[in-house]
Amino acid sequence: MNTNNNLYTVIYTSLIVIVVAALLAFVSQSLKSKQEANEKADTISQMMTAAGFGTKAEFQKMGNAAVLARYAEEIAEAYTVNTDGEKIADMDLSEVYSPSRLKKQNYNIKGAGQPELPVFVFRNGITVVPVYGAGLWGPVWGYLAFEQDHVTIKGAYFDHESETAGLGAKIKDDPDFQAEFSGEKAHWSEANVFEIVKGGSPKNADGTEIYDNKIDAITGATMTSMGLDAAIDTWLGAYSRHFASAESCCETQTVEE
Amino acid sequence: MDAKLKETILNPIFKGNPITVLVLGICSSLAVTVTLKGALVMTLSVIVVCGISSLILSLLRNTIPGRVRIIVQLVVVAMMVILVDQILKSFEATYAIDKQLSVYIGLIITNCIVMGRIEAFALGNKPWPSLLDGVSNGAGYGMILLIVAFFRELLGSGTLFGIDILNRFGYVPNNLVILPPFALILLGCIVWVQRSIQKDLQEK
Repeated sequence: MNTNNNLYTVIYTSLIVIVVAALLAFVSQSLKSKQEANEKADTISQMMTAAGFGTKAEFQKMGNAAVLARYAEEIAEAYTVNTDGEKIADMDLSEVYSPSRLKKQNYNIKGAGQPELPVFVFRNGITVVPVYGAGLWGPVWGYLAFEQDHVTIKGAYFDHESETAGLGAKIKDDPDFQAEFSGEKAHWSEANVFEIVKGGSPKNADGTEIYDNKIDAITGATMTSMGLDAAIDTWLGAYSRHFASAESCCETQTVEE
Repeated sequence: MDAKLKETILNPIFKGNPITVLVLGICSSLAVTVTLKGALVMTLSVIVVCGISSLILSLLRNTIPGRVRIIVQLVVVAMMVILVDQILKSFEATYAIDKQLSVYIGLIITNCIVMGRIEAFALGNKPWPSLLDGVSNGAGYGMILLIVAFFRELLGSGTLFGIDILNRFGYVPNNLVILPPFALILLGCIVWVQRSIQKDLQEK
């Protein structure tokens, strides 16, 4: 058989590509539910790590079923809001926002549609919101947990798809970076709600920080730090009316009482 | 087992090791050797991809048009890599490790060992020896990966497979070992050891 004939070559390559594509599509479809279950448990463990229920490693050891059970125990309320700060709808308590859903909302925040931003409230009053944006090589995302006052940050957890190991990947791997967020405050009424900058906040003569909404970026990972900063700005900016109004509503209530 | 087959299996492990002698697959050996677990998953993935791609292409070898053979090889290798990645993502036990290895699983496709063995061996040999050649090249690559990962995890984190070994004796993990340059230093040492044992590799 002459395998160098043009027609043969065209038919052969077409066939190979079609067979491989069909096989991969079949495998991808049949494994999808399992992959989504893993992703969901991973997302939940990231949210719970941010909220201070344990470390990521601890949740990883627990296994998917235990993570889901623990989450069901702790979660009190989940709902979506729009950028005007109004509540849109209650979410099913088992529902989470995986990176693919965050990506869609990220487009919506930037003007492609009506954003539906999730807010997760745990039984102990800690509120978790996601952030999503572009790092250096791919998407970066994460979860910020706020104390009952909706201003003080309780904790944070970030993840990424393909940031450089040892540099940009530190947003996920470096506990010191994530610990920097604890105790900082979101300035909901300002244009920059929260900032990641070189050197962090400038300091007073006595060593205390002048700004409580600025933290130090990662050395050697300028693009990832800037990407994460932009992600946090965009998303917290989108949430700012919700949390600002939540504050003012409750303050007036106390006055009335 | 005849001598030729034995040579096919044993050569890539030591005398013709893909990393230390052919110097292929260096990038991933720097990137995925921080922990033994990561290195082990990477090793198994490369063995599977290398072995089965060689087998498939050896079965197809008489039908592949010569002009597009590289493209056909690429399609088959890419398919195997995606399959391995999809399967790793589907199991609870391997999901986290797949996330940790992130792009490097996908980059097996660019690992010169895989394409190199297909081009040099599988296209000219019967399926059974091709499968063995693929598997043992993967194993030769993996062996070096595991040796490097052993030292990097032990000295860099004080653990092996995540189990504390040195830290309990007050060992302070060495951060240099975690960084990629140290893998290169270790690889250099392995090449040094191998060349002093195997004198015919030394240039005059």
